[in-house]
Amino acid sequence: MKNIIEKILKIDRRLIFLALTILLVFPIVRPLGLPNKNIGNEVKALYEKIESLPAGSFIMLSLDYDPATRPELHPQAVAVVKHALRKDLRVMILTLNAGATGLIDEIGERIPKDIAPAKKYGTDYVILPYQPNPVAIMTQMGMDLYQIYDKDRDGAPLREMPVMKGIRNVKDMQLGMCITGTALLDYWVAYTGDKFKMPFAGGTTAVSQIGYAPYLQTGQLKGLIGGMKGAADYELLINAKEKGTAGLDALSLAHIMVIGLIVVANIMMFWLKYL
Amino acid sequence: MDISLILGGWVAAGLTIFLFSFLYKDNPFFKATEHLYLGAGMGWVFQTVLFQTWIPKVWEPLTKQGDWTVLIPTVLGLTLVTQFFPRISWLSRYGFTFIMGYGSGLVIPLTISTDLLKQIGGTMAPFMVSEVTRGNILSLVNGAIIAVGFICVLFYFFFSVEHKGAVKKASNIGIYFLMLYFGAAFGNTVMGRFSLLYGRFDDLYKYSAPKYFYATHIILAVMVLYFIVDHFRTRKPSIEEEAA
Repeated sequence: MKNIIEKILKIDRRLIFLALTILLVFPIVRPLGLPNKNIGNEVKALYEKIESLPAGSFIMLSLDYDPATRPELHPQAVAVVKHALRKDLRVMILTLNAGATGLIDEIGERIPKDIAPAKKYGTDYVILPYQPNPVAIMTQMGMDLYQIYDKDRDGAPLREMPVMKGIRNVKDMQLGMCITGTALLDYWVAYTGDKFKMPFAGGTTAVSQIGYAPYLQTGQLKGLIGGMKGAADYELLINAKEKGTAGLDALSLAHIMVIGLIVVANIMMFWLKYL
Repeated sequence: MDISLILGGWVAAGLTIFLFSFLYKDNPFFKATEHLYLGAGMGWVFQTVLFQTWIPKVWEPLTKQGDWTVLIPTVLGLTLVTQFFPRISWLSRYGFTFIMGYGSGLVIPLTISTDLLKQIGGTMAPFMVSEVTRGNILSLVNGAIIAVGFICVLFYFFFSVEHKGAVKKASNIGIYFLMLYFGAAFGNTVMGRFSLLYGRFDDLYKYSAPKYFYATHIILAVMVLYFIVDHFRTRKPSIEEEAA
């Protein structure tokens, strides 16, 4: 028995990689539709916040993620944009991360196709160009955002667009949200949320989610979407299942495998040590 | 048929498989992709800054509106590049001085407010009640756990007093709170990494479609073939073979 256990413990790790690959690929080829019965309170809080906003309210979305974190954060952004436009809110999308511009273009192309075909660019939503120096942008947006963003992504004058009617700075906006895998959410909370008393929410990778719990407790964040699970929760709340929900099958299987490996390896180590 | 879309699919599938191939064995495809990643990333950032910031914010105001004031931040920014030329590198101090002064002035007061004062306030807030009722008892218990954790973790990081007696006990409790945090953070990290891996597999599946001329299948088969050939090419001869 001892020899068998020692052999198993020295198994080629590439076999574990292979098993993990199979478990992650299988639900992509054949979706299992495992249920998601635990919606996070912080996700629900964001959903309720957006639900409570009257039609015509203005939301600023800072999508500050790049392709490296796309699988976790892109479904969050798509779900929030979809929810906001469904609720007839006005949406302004911007980015302070140069790597995000291509992904924002993708959302821009999807809005008239399948996210909200009835909504019109310039009237219901607008996309701003990338700008460097986040702290300067955030502080300036508290005073006069047209000093920074005088034109939209395509070079059209921003001030003249119907979507910007009555908006001069972040104090005129009803909600701000930053979706990012970087520390930019901290900056938004400090330089815009706290400084200008703007209600703010966030979307982060699962890795950084825990670190934002103190901001939720103090109310500095009105809601938080964390990782692919958070995206799946939000998709479930707005009843629009997409990539986040599709990923949950794979995540559940992979987690079962990891838990199984940890338990089996510990039992084996215990056996070798004490029996 | 959109050629650029198909080509994009082949490049994306190829680069993903080349990077994953390292899990089996180091190889030249992985090395080439690793270098390409850095170059492509920098290229993307450069063109974004050039077309979305530099041209509309500097070039057009200067050439079309004759606004010379944009030269002040531009020159200050350019002084940072003088770091690469030792003879005039002293000029970069002006740019850095501006960044340091402006950055510190913004960051210090807001960090104290957001990350220190508000968090202390948040820890105390649950106890700001006139009386204990059934409605707020859970909130009070929750607040007490957070406050105990907060104080004990602070003790753990307080090195000016020797950790013995009551201080040691508090510090040890702090370790348990830290372990809980690390456990939760590690669990979330695992979930995050799986999500990223799932994202790549999802894209590989997409590129395996006939629309992309089976890019994933073909590149994967080529890589497997490469490893088989490489295995026989670099195989050390056995003792019998050497003797023969």
